[in-house]
Amino acid sequence: MSLFSGFNISATGLTANRMRMDVVSSNIANANTTRAQLVNGEWLPYRRKSVELTQSGVSPFERQLSSVMNHQSTNVSGVTVSKIKEDRAPFTLSYDPANPDADANGYVRLPNVDPIKEMVDLMSATRSYEANVTALNASKSMFMKALEIGK
Amino acid sequence: MKIFPQSIQTLEQALSTATLKQRVHAANIANVDTPNYKSKQVDFQSVLNSTMNNQAFSSFKTNAKHLSFSGESTQLHPSIKVNNSSQYSPNGNNVDMDYEMSNLAKNQLFYNAVTEGINGKFNNLRTVINGGR
Repeated sequence: MSLFSGFNISATGLTANRMRMDVVSSNIANANTTRAQLVNGEWLPYRRKSVELTQSGVSPFERQLSSVMNHQSTNVSGVTVSKIKEDRAPFTLSYDPANPDADANGYVRLPNVDPIKEMVDLMSATRSYEANVTALNASKSMFMKALEIGK
Repeated sequence: MKIFPQSIQTLEQALSTATLKQRVHAANIANVDTPNYKSKQVDFQSVLNSTMNNQAFSSFKTNAKHLSFSGESTQLHPSIKVNNSSQYSPNGNNVDMDYEMSNLAKNQLFYNAVTEGINGKFNNLRTVINGGR
């Protein structure tokens, strides 16, 4: 058991939640982007993106070492963003014939971003971030206390 | 003659258990949004209770004058248990945030208390070494 592994676990939580916030920011910023990618000469609107969180892996060597050192084999590890997924939900249609991206019937395809969903996701990421900061501060104050032993 | 009393070793064990608990709480909090993550808990109390009841680690004595092992009853190993019995959110995660945060605070206070205990022991020794001055 390394001294700073508690710090590292909380740090992975901070990194993952900051990544979530970045993705939410990108979704909100591109809520009206009608030209995100060019597919076969046709512009497609922005697709909503979301992160996929998984528990970060522990290497077999590390697991063996910890099972011998601490008499336990359950892996305790942090979190990581395994990939950023695109939402396959259909684009919303809006009637706006004056728009340069309107089709023959006057409809414009807008991104499948729901601002309410994004705000909820943003708040959830913020709260998780704060929880990880609290855990990190707790670890820090514990180790600061341990440094006072024998003074 | 032993300078350092046995209780310092016991307190040290308590400190390392608290560190392990801290690590497990940190992992649970970090994985609060991970789908299908199951929360983990450090199970030290049951090991302690079974040891206290069974005396499983005691040496075998056939005579009252036989000596005990020097490290007897101090080798308690906490184990990590995975909680599979409950579900808190639809994505299969069962981390209870209120439980984790309150136990994190409790564990921190416990760690500080044990540190004070060790400091007290060392201060006693220091007083004796300095001849009460």
